[in-house]
Amino acid sequence: MTLIVSESPDRANAPGRRKRDRRRSSLTAHGEPMVWLTGGSLALCVAMIVGLLGLVLYQGLGTFWPQEIVRLEAADGRVLLGAISSRSSYIPEESLLASLPPEQATLLREAMGDPSDPQPIERLLVRSENYELTGSHYNWIDRPLVVSEERPTWALCLERTEKGRFYGLPVAFLVDGEVVEEGPEATWKRFGEQHPAVRRRYLEYRRLEKRDLGHVNADMEEARLYLRSVALSKGEGSAAWLDAKAKFDAREEINRARAAEIQGRIDELKGANAAFALRMRTGDDREVDIPLERIVRAVPANQLSLAGKLRVYGSRWREFLTDDPREANSEGGVWPAIFGTLLMTLLMTLMVVPLGVIAALYLHEYAKQGFIVSLVRIAVNNLAGVPSIVFGVFGLGFFCYIIGSSIDEFFFSARLPNPTYGKGGILWASLTLALLTLPVVIVATEEALAAVPNSMREGSYACGATKWQTIRRIILPRAQPGIMTGAILAIARGAGEVAPLMLVGAVKLAPDLPLDLGRFPYLFPERSFMHLGFHIYDLGFQSQNSEAAKPMVYTTTLLLIAIVVALNLSAIWIRARLRRRFRAAR
Amino acid sequence: MTEIEKEKVILPHQAARQGAGDQAVTQSGHTSAKIGGLFEAISEGRPFQSVLHPELASQEPVVEVEGFNLWYGSTQALHDITFSVPKGRVTALIGPSGCGKSTLLRSVNRMNDLIDSVSIEGSMSLSGDPIYGRSVDVIELRKRIGMVFQKPNPFPMSIFENVIYSLRIDGVRDRGLLNQVCEESLRGAGLWDEVKDRLKSSALALSGGQQQRLCIARAIAAEPEVLLLDEPCSALDPIATGKVEDLIEDLKGTYSVLMVTHNMQQASRVSDNTAFMYLGRLVEYGPTDQVFLGPRLKETEDYVTGRFG
Repeated sequence: MTLIVSESPDRANAPGRRKRDRRRSSLTAHGEPMVWLTGGSLALCVAMIVGLLGLVLYQGLGTFWPQEIVRLEAADGRVLLGAISSRSSYIPEESLLASLPPEQATLLREAMGDPSDPQPIERLLVRSENYELTGSHYNWIDRPLVVSEERPTWALCLERTEKGRFYGLPVAFLVDGEVVEEGPEATWKRFGEQHPAVRRRYLEYRRLEKRDLGHVNADMEEARLYLRSVALSKGEGSAAWLDAKAKFDAREEINRARAAEIQGRIDELKGANAAFALRMRTGDDREVDIPLERIVRAVPANQLSLAGKLRVYGSRWREFLTDDPREANSEGGVWPAIFGTLLMTLLMTLMVVPLGVIAALYLHEYAKQGFIVSLVRIAVNNLAGVPSIVFGVFGLGFFCYIIGSSIDEFFFSARLPNPTYGKGGILWASLTLALLTLPVVIVATEEALAAVPNSMREGSYACGATKWQTIRRIILPRAQPGIMTGAILAIARGAGEVAPLMLVGAVKLAPDLPLDLGRFPYLFPERSFMHLGFHIYDLGFQSQNSEAAKPMVYTTTLLLIAIVVALNLSAIWIRARLRRRFRAAR
Repeated sequence: MTEIEKEKVILPHQAARQGAGDQAVTQSGHTSAKIGGLFEAISEGRPFQSVLHPELASQEPVVEVEGFNLWYGSTQALHDITFSVPKGRVTALIGPSGCGKSTLLRSVNRMNDLIDSVSIEGSMSLSGDPIYGRSVDVIELRKRIGMVFQKPNPFPMSIFENVIYSLRIDGVRDRGLLNQVCEESLRGAGLWDEVKDRLKSSALALSGGQQQRLCIARAIAAEPEVLLLDEPCSALDPIATGKVEDLIEDLKGTYSVLMVTHNMQQASRVSDNTAFMYLGRLVEYGPTDQVFLGPRLKETEDYVTGRFG
């Protein structure tokens, strides 16, 4: 170290030169502690990110893995057939032990060992379901109280369209109330043959009900509204109204016929399905007939090979990603939420990027730099720090109640008092989030514009280009990667935002997607929508079956993270492509 | 320039009289009396008359500057500049840093308009048309003047698009014309053979010297009446500098060139006329060999021989 080399005697004794007392440089001066401090901070950040992702991945990926079904008999006579969903341990209090029958209390005391140093006892949370019989989805059982434990080969886990899962053993297959197969093996074989067709018919008539009948109803509603608007403007009984009424009657006639035809097909499909049922025996030997069309999936969890488990796992993921939710969102898929999130983010990006870029262009290129521009800039930067719920309140008050209501009054007066645009919807939600992310885009664009070398502008002006030509041909292309960075930040912020959406249009369960390719005008910006972020909140805190919802919270979180990452990656990919154009060989 | 002409060295006051009228006689006489005191006089802000060689009067001018003053806010950067850029020749502006060469050059195509605090006085004209004035359309004016900057500034687009930029902004769509102009301009800038196979690739991938020649090609594509070069070689290595100098040599005759340079050798190599500036004033302006070999003022000689500056 040059710092601690002692001075040569010549220099020290040089005349006229005062020798300064030179101390050994300290540890701080070398900066070693700073290396440790900075490195340690980074390590902490990395650990937190890895920990978060690890937790979400571990919990989220495990949700759909088929679990073994166990049959537990307890000392108190309870029989639980189901999957063990979690384990914990506790030390029962004396008062609890006292309230138990003596032999159970004895079992627990034995497990606890020495009373002066009691050992915790294990308890299991069993997902036994069969809600219509038991009135509960989950049950706790103390491990020491389990008197017998087995894994019945033929235990089935039925995922149903309603009332949750059903755990039981197949007894018989029924057609029209008659037993046609008996014994688990024959029943299972018959189930495998019949179920896909039944399920297909079920999905078909659900589609008919929802889409085709929905379209007919929408058409009738439209005709009714038209008639009403004529009545409002021309007066009931006028010539125009009579004309409209005649048309309405004709249209109603056609729609009635169409509806009747569709209903006929639905009834036919329903009738074909009604014949089939599966007779199941529960853990405590009660028998229940379950209509086949109510069964989404039957999993003989205890006989599955690894490939079979993977198949079930994949099938559940596919359902999760592509289907509508059922069971108050805690089962089924999240497709409407995925779609709503993506569409909302897309609309938001389409609105915020042009607006932000144009605003930044004016601020940086046209406006005379001075006090007012600085003030505007400070205001824009501060807008980024406003809590997002404030934007939600603004969106509700301004977009929904002022703009939306005015639109309703002018264009949808026939539907009043039912609001069309005067309530939360995907358009207002996107606009609100566009406002929320506007500062991000403006700041990023201004930075990108400032990074365009002035020599480029001068070169362009010297060629006789006007300001706008220079902006369009030189500055904007050059600033494009920077603008994309702004868009990426806006997408990342907007896609994960939930609080303002609760006020301006995200709902727990949306009856229709905002996009309907079967009906003009295809995009319905006034419709409310589902959003993954809101879905997580709803699952985690509003669900009645909170134990069943918990794994879905993690899975949905995982999906939301994946979608935000995918959106970002695609934007980064576009930016990298743009950058390549401007990269010099040097 | 013949030997005989070089013999006839005119005294400063004579030159002043021939160049700019009678009133300067006493002043320039005064300054020449105090040998070496001219720079001092200028820095003290005393009035001073530029020395203009009479040979220049016979050359047809393309840009004429008359009593031009320029201020950055309250600081005056150019003082009473009067000179003209002859047609078809290369005129070099030399002088120490901060003497106003670049400011003067940028005043010709009104690049100084981009700076808010600039104010001017006096007049300039391009082929007889005023450069400053209320009715002048700056955009149209700049289209008649080409400019090349100190650092190569190709636009972030293909070589082809760079060259035809001035046509693009005029909305020219004729593919044949664009191709023709591109080739002619690149040939004119001596770059055609090097880039003809990759016109569609990015201009930013070219070397520094190639980029600067591309900028020259871009400037001449608009067929300007005058070409302004602002220290075009200062960011280039000697080989690239040599190529650009050869190019300026070739442009001579076809284009009128006004260039700023810090390099005395370059000025003496490529220019026909040289103007020496100091602290915002034009000191001496004449044919290059006269300015370098037989300057009228001792101060000019001191500067071009490297004794000063």
